[in-house]
Amino acid sequence: MKILAHSYVCPKGTFLNGKLVYDTAGEENPLKSAYQQLGAEYPKFYKMDVLSKMAFIGTELLLPFFPKDADLENDLQLIFANSSASQNTDNLFVESYEQLKNPSPSLFVYTLPNIVTGELCIRHKWYGENCFFIEEAFNPVHFSEWAQMALNKGNNCCLCAWVEAKTNGEQECFLFLLTDSEEEAYSVELELSTLIKQYRNE
Amino acid sequence: MSDLKENLKAQIIEQLNLEDLTPADIRDDAPLFGDQGLGLDSIDALEFIVLLDSNYGIKISDPNEGKEIFQSVNTLADYISKHQ
Repeated sequence: MKILAHSYVCPKGTFLNGKLVYDTAGEENPLKSAYQQLGAEYPKFYKMDVLSKMAFIGTELLLPFFPKDADLENDLQLIFANSSASQNTDNLFVESYEQLKNPSPSLFVYTLPNIVTGELCIRHKWYGENCFFIEEAFNPVHFSEWAQMALNKGNNCCLCAWVEAKTNGEQECFLFLLTDSEEEAYSVELELSTLIKQYRNE
Repeated sequence: MSDLKENLKAQIIEQLNLEDLTPADIRDDAPLFGDQGLGLDSIDALEFIVLLDSNYGIKISDPNEGKEIFQSVNTLADYISKHQ
């Protein structure tokens, strides 16, 4: 297995394969700024929750790196995870009916974290399998094990993401594209662990 | 009428949680639903029904009416001005 490409979206900027592509540090609305710099025309972006917005931007950047011969429509597996599910939106929804006395349907639809994968599948017309795990922290072994299972089943490649929006304001989306490789000594887990630390400046 | 449209744009942004947008981003005649304009969907139509009821006291009993009323800010403002 090998990493074809990776992206990272956070308030300070958007990165592709380790390089800063959209500098949004100090912006009042970093995700809006990144979306505008991306130049995508997808008005539904403005309706999305933070998780979906980050994953949308990061995925758009990875599109040129998908295998050219892959049947993305049917054989792309999405493997996503985070630690706080959709808690940010959950809180906003509770606020909408407790304080504003008006339960918001448009917030309610984002009170599940796996809506992120749904948004991406709608955007790109992907009909393969997808899953969203809740874990304590980024776990590269879990990602590689699930990806290997998918690849063994015949999937062309896997789009994986650690996409997190905590209630304390911390936000990040680390996306990476995994595919089969014959390089036996290659440690995807170690590289993923290193990459996310670099992106986080740890 | 122009004040009504500006108010409507601000209320749409607030009601639909379109926090990235400003009223200036919404054209009076831009389609609100579908892939053009704001890209809203059926869930947002529910929000419009709530918005009309809570802000203007207008109740829409026939959901089919919404297709015409919710086409754009222009059509919304026109409907409100005739039914308030």
